[in-house]
Amino acid sequence: MKNDKAMKMIDKALRKGQKTLSEYDAKQVLAAYDIPVTKEILIKDKEHLEKAIQKIGFPLVMKGCSAEIAHKTEKGLIHVDIRTVTEAKKAFREIMAGMEGFEGGVLMQEMIKGRRELVMGLTRDPQFGPCVMFGLGGIFTEILRDISFRRAPLEVRDTQEMMQEIKGHKILEAVRGMEAADTKRLTEMLMAIGRIGLEIPEVSEIDLNPVILCGSKPVVVDALIVLK
Amino acid sequence: MSENTNKVGKRKKNRYPATDYERIFHPRTLAILGVSAEEGGVGFGTGMLKSIMAMGFEGKIFPVNPKGGNISGLEIYKRVEDIPEKVDFAIIAVAARWVPASLEACLKIGVAGAEILSSGFSELGTAEGRELEKQIQEIAARGIRVVGPNCFGIYCPASGLTMLPGPDLSRQSGPVAFLAQSGGMSIDFAHTGKWLGVRFSKMVSFGNGADLREAELLNHLARDPETKVISMYIEGIKDGDAFFREIKAAASKKPVIVFKGGLSHAGARSVASHTASMGGSRVIWQSILKQAGAIQVNDTEELAQVNLAFSLLPHRSFKSISVTGGGGAIGVTACDTAEKYGMDIPSLYPELQARIENVLPRPGSSAINPIDVANPFVGPEVLKEALLAAAQDDRIELQIIVSLLFHYKTIARMFGKPVSEVAPYRELAQAVRDVVDQTGKPVIAVLPNVKKGLDDMDITELIALTRQEYMNHGIPVFDELHDAVRAIAHMNTYYGRRKHEKR
Repeated sequence: MKNDKAMKMIDKALRKGQKTLSEYDAKQVLAAYDIPVTKEILIKDKEHLEKAIQKIGFPLVMKGCSAEIAHKTEKGLIHVDIRTVTEAKKAFREIMAGMEGFEGGVLMQEMIKGRRELVMGLTRDPQFGPCVMFGLGGIFTEILRDISFRRAPLEVRDTQEMMQEIKGHKILEAVRGMEAADTKRLTEMLMAIGRIGLEIPEVSEIDLNPVILCGSKPVVVDALIVLK
Repeated sequence: MSENTNKVGKRKKNRYPATDYERIFHPRTLAILGVSAEEGGVGFGTGMLKSIMAMGFEGKIFPVNPKGGNISGLEIYKRVEDIPEKVDFAIIAVAARWVPASLEACLKIGVAGAEILSSGFSELGTAEGRELEKQIQEIAARGIRVVGPNCFGIYCPASGLTMLPGPDLSRQSGPVAFLAQSGGMSIDFAHTGKWLGVRFSKMVSFGNGADLREAELLNHLARDPETKVISMYIEGIKDGDAFFREIKAAASKKPVIVFKGGLSHAGARSVASHTASMGGSRVIWQSILKQAGAIQVNDTEELAQVNLAFSLLPHRSFKSISVTGGGGAIGVTACDTAEKYGMDIPSLYPELQARIENVLPRPGSSAINPIDVANPFVGPEVLKEALLAAAQDDRIELQIIVSLLFHYKTIARMFGKPVSEVAPYRELAQAVRDVVDQTGKPVIAVLPNVKKGLDDMDITELIALTRQEYMNHGIPVFDELHDAVRAIAHMNTYYGRRKHEKR
């Protein structure tokens, strides 16, 4: 059974000729598959700023959001730990200026607190089709490449092995006063990514990085969905 | 998705054509197409005929060549249709352009399967080659199974079928089946197995794999009662879905060991995400094999060693081991290696240590475990006592004995005798066999050799003799402790997973 909501968003993006989904749209697709994402609101207009702040609450993260802009950090389109309306207004101005006229808006996002960053993703192997990735996230993803893959569809056991297989698997345990990760939730997320790969051939790649452990709960903080 | 599921559901019944594997692997009558009609002729057909005769194939052989005549005392039939008996299996070694007609003739007379040694098909990359291979596929689909083309064929010790150019492969059957596209890899492994002690149920080099290939053969071998261990060398596969389905199903029944070659040529696909850039062919293959429950090895040596372990050791995991030896840095090396592969070398119970100390020379020995017997000349009787005692420790599941036999050269020199006369290798192998029989716990022998130069060929011979002696007693022999421990670690991974599955 295809996920109608996700399909509609992807169809729309494809009709517009997009090669990727914006972060906001990507998270809508993920949410449609019950993958936990940050609470966030996309605004295009300064007038909506304060209402969004009320809904999300401080501290928050503000990001430039467009399907046409990758590498938001390098372009100065991410402002974190915003704690006052004044800061928010300033960030809004700077982000809109930095967007250089690309279609999109400003993403008002709850700031997820957690010291453990994971990565999840999807690739399509020419031989084996959709393969789901799990590993250490954030800046460590590319440096350590501590990752594991499984081909979709994933069984619960596959997801458990993926988590055990990475060298840094202890990060999921109760360490240094942090709670043990909700591995059941991680399992559901990995299986859901596999389902996206099987059900939506138009999705060619997915990067969810970081997925931050907020206490025990994983939350997708940034998401990229690449279309065919 | 739903469409896909339906397709799979429909295909499930009779996914593969009915195939008489008995007639293919154990033919009683065999046609060889493309033998040389001239005296002293060479070529694949003639080579195969001579190899199969040298192997002592017990069935009837019908050589075929349009010119007729005689070869090696056999009448050459001009046409396949002239063969007076029902033919089980055919070996086709005619020029590529004649292959389709030859195969068609075999189909017509009811041959169950054929191996096509000839090359000149899709591997050329030419339109003509591809067309000829397509013709093979079309004929095969009408009721004859094909191995090849462009292959070295089937080796089946029980029936005497051999692959090119193997007139001297073992006729002893064993638990290991081997699959590969590569004929060279297959024949090399067959030869390695012969001296190492790996015995085969059957081996198939399927070349271009126009008809029978990895997924279907895995499906067959998983059900084959002669096969207890499946091994493969893979360069490429045809269908990822089918391969994954079959290897996973096979690995849930028996160990499947895979050496995947060609991982360095990770396809340079253009990708946009980090996930895709990190999911190159090496890491994906590793993951896929793990997911399927197969064992991945990294070279031909490891492939052979792991097969040896699975062939000769009880089918279970071994977490706690003893290591016995002397005359080297055995203690430290053993502990380091075991730890690396997740095994324990527990200190033996004090009363057992005392018992072992009683028989070992002093000073210099240690009975803790690893058991250092102090010098390499400690005799088989003493070693037997030590092994028997160590096995009394209920934690010990497997024992390894490391014998530095090359040191006997010193003694041989002293007495002016050949080293194979002074080294008590027969008694040693017998002692180890006795220990296994009395304790019910397996023992692995390790025979390192640091003297491999031209002036030490007698040591090379001694090691070979010792290995043969152990092999006759069903004891696996490894060259290095590391090889043995790594092979056991693979068994531990496999049986650990199986146990987990059964829970």
